[in-house]
Amino acid sequence: MNAPSEISRPKVLIETSHDLPLVSISVGSKSGSIFDPEGLEGLTRLSGRLMRRTAAGRDPQDIDAQIDALGASLSVDVSPSAAALQGTVIRRSLEPFVSLVADVFARPGLAEDELGRLRRETEADLVEALDDDRGLARRWFRKKMFDGHPYGRPVSGVSESLKRITQSDVAACARRLGERDGLFIAFSGDIEGAEAEELAARIVAELPASTKIEDTTPEPVMRPGRRLVIVDKPERSQTQILIGGLGTHAADADHTALLVGNTIFGGTFTARMTQEVRSKRGWSYGAYSSLPIDRRRQAFSMWTFPKAEDAAPCIALQIEMLSALRAKGVTKKELSWAKRYLTRSHAFTVDTPSKRVGLTLDAALYDLPDGYYDDYLNRIAKTTLDDVNRALSARLPEQDLLFVVVGTAADIRSNLEAAIPNLEETEVVRFDQEV
Amino acid sequence: MQAPIAAVRARKPATSLSSARASRRKALLGTLNAAAPEWGSIEHIETLPFGPLLTLERFRLKNGLELLLCEEHSAPVVAFHTWFRVGSRHEKVGKTGLAHLFEHLMFNEVEGRAAGEFDRLLEEAGSEVNASTWLDWTQYNAATPKDQLGLVVQLEAERMSRLVLREPQVTSEKEVVANERRYRVDDDVEGAVSELLWATAFKEHAYRWPTIGWMTDIEGFTTEDCTEFYRTFYAPNNATIVVVGDVAEAQLLGRIAKAYGHIAPSALPLEDVQPEPAQLEERRIDVSKPTSTEKLLIGYHAPALGDWDHPLLSLLVEILFGGRASRVHRRLVRELELASEVRAFVGPFKDPGLTELFVSCREGTSAEAILTVIDEELARVKVEAILQEEIERGRARFELGLLAGLDTVDGKAQTIGFYETVLGRPCAAFERLDAIRNVSSSELRRVARKYFGAGQRSIVFVRPQAETTTGEKQ
Repeated sequence: MNAPSEISRPKVLIETSHDLPLVSISVGSKSGSIFDPEGLEGLTRLSGRLMRRTAAGRDPQDIDAQIDALGASLSVDVSPSAAALQGTVIRRSLEPFVSLVADVFARPGLAEDELGRLRRETEADLVEALDDDRGLARRWFRKKMFDGHPYGRPVSGVSESLKRITQSDVAACARRLGERDGLFIAFSGDIEGAEAEELAARIVAELPASTKIEDTTPEPVMRPGRRLVIVDKPERSQTQILIGGLGTHAADADHTALLVGNTIFGGTFTARMTQEVRSKRGWSYGAYSSLPIDRRRQAFSMWTFPKAEDAAPCIALQIEMLSALRAKGVTKKELSWAKRYLTRSHAFTVDTPSKRVGLTLDAALYDLPDGYYDDYLNRIAKTTLDDVNRALSARLPEQDLLFVVVGTAADIRSNLEAAIPNLEETEVVRFDQEV
Repeated sequence: MQAPIAAVRARKPATSLSSARASRRKALLGTLNAAAPEWGSIEHIETLPFGPLLTLERFRLKNGLELLLCEEHSAPVVAFHTWFRVGSRHEKVGKTGLAHLFEHLMFNEVEGRAAGEFDRLLEEAGSEVNASTWLDWTQYNAATPKDQLGLVVQLEAERMSRLVLREPQVTSEKEVVANERRYRVDDDVEGAVSELLWATAFKEHAYRWPTIGWMTDIEGFTTEDCTEFYRTFYAPNNATIVVVGDVAEAQLLGRIAKAYGHIAPSALPLEDVQPEPAQLEERRIDVSKPTSTEKLLIGYHAPALGDWDHPLLSLLVEILFGGRASRVHRRLVRELELASEVRAFVGPFKDPGLTELFVSCREGTSAEAILTVIDEELARVKVEAILQEEIERGRARFELGLLAGLDTVDGKAQTIGFYETVLGRPCAAFERLDAIRNVSSSELRRVARKYFGAGQRSIVFVRPQAETTTGEKQ
């Protein structure tokens, strides 16, 4: 660990298309928020944003004005496992834009007063986020699902952790984010390979040869049993419901089969969940299940948002459907349909240069198995009914489930508890409690 | 929906069609029309430049159906959009939300097919299908792998003329829409407040009610309401099809003639529009919501999308409110630290709409304090010259926004269909960029004086409700 790397050139990814006079650039690193020390949650995101605001020690207002004048956008995106500076620019302004991107990494000013201002802005954003019920459900689901694991910690931090972050913390994080050998630079759009290579070299020219970033995050472990968390908010006519447990890992032998099974269960507008919850009963505007991937195992979750009176029967139905899916699996007809859907709709995951380069970048940042995207269609074609049904039975959680419901607790609690067999614990939390 | 753009490269002449191609098209249409169904003969109307690199071909069927085709072969996919010139403005009091409910029902059942088969077949084909409704229009979009285009054409034509409307689908879909309303409006502070603003600013025009409809109206719709709406507005002579992507003109025209050529045109009703009388005095509303901070929403009456002033006002709003470098954002968020979010938007509608300004206050800040700053900045642009560099920044943001919106075939079809339906000019996005290319500071000052008068605005102040919940653990 931490052995000096001998790699001296950035890893450059390129997808060329001259259809529009636009160039998109992503400078990504595997250094996401899981590297935030405990108690300093939000450090990576805060640092990345401060680097962007104070490039070359300039006034943040000048930088914002320059980005607008260039016909560009530039933002920082941080997830648990990765951080990326992402921008798009009108082709004629590419040169000065690349200089700005280089300054973000090589010469971040990180001014103390701007750190204070950014911290206060972030705290205000956290307060604002309390208005978003769907966002509340997601944040509480993440916290309770990955309780004690780095995935459970908030990427944006909380008020207390933000207050603890000092300029020296930010400076150390900025060094980590600017380590040359940890960077992947992706170009797409109106740019050819040679020019992209040259610009990438400029972006990293002044960055230090770096240490290897090693992700030592353990695999998450699901807490056994069924738990209900009600995020109590007044005057909710509707609920936001997330139900789930541990999901898939891209390296699992049954990963593709599980994705196919999820497509049938809740992955499309005509999947079982939408048919039962929305089309037949009209209970929820949307009803979907998802299986995201990361460097470690992520969560499986079902999402619905019925009105308060329908929350309990909707949850009961979802439990029943999940149980039936695990016990009986999917049919041959459903599998054929799903394979055709996944194969044909793949055209829309690769129809633009930015999407194509985005897949390559994701594969690098999330340590996906070799050929993960290139071999995707082959793997779908080879998936059998047995593969899918074994994967659904083995991987989908049924007894170890977390139920997160945003709603008015006094109106829904007793019905929810009655709707969940073998419920071991109910926790009611305030919607404005930091998470 | 704002339309920045940029002619970054030299434009092709508007009529670049080679005579050989024109001859081939003439021969093709002759063949197709000789065998066309009753309403299926096709006429080529015009060729238009769509930006610097692409062209748009306009065709019209005998039944009045417009077809706009933009061939673009960068990926093996095609966007097929159907735009109907009917939106919530065509509804009546007591029947609000019908256009939107109808959009949902269009996915249910057609003659000869089972309920839900439409979606099932298109998903199996790998298509991405959706729809949207707003004040002036309803649009249905399908992006599909190129080899599945025939299925899309067939299914879209079927539901234009052979939709089945019956129970229990209508009742079930009403419940889905009611849940959509709870999600977007009733339990959403911004959604609820925006609805209130429009109902306050408009007293006569149909823009005063929300596209999703009032809850009591949604609950009251009958199958007969839906059938009447369908017969009235879902006709080929009230629609435009927009096709963008990897498609051959000859093949597409043959499919369109065959699929849509049997559909007769309708006698469309005369539109019954009540013009909105000029607002002469400021209107204020104060509401409490379960939110942590105060919010401020202001609506100034704005010109219609087709008005010469619309792009100029949009540029001015960009200079004042667009992005971190804009005047109001810089003062409220950065310098004074009074707000967490500032947004503004000039409504892109057929009739005059609103310029909406939204600000979310920081804790401890009153909406009145925000209003004072906004008023100061609006007063400034009415007397002081705007710097040329500010104008250029606003223009560059326009241009980036337009180009980014054209990234996919769907984005191009959306841009073409929107401007065609609202203005009758499918390339108007580029015209708008031309309109602001040489705009002067004095023109922007005139626009500020004209559209930011205090008597022309309505204001909604949102106050946080007292907390009522407590946490506990069992």
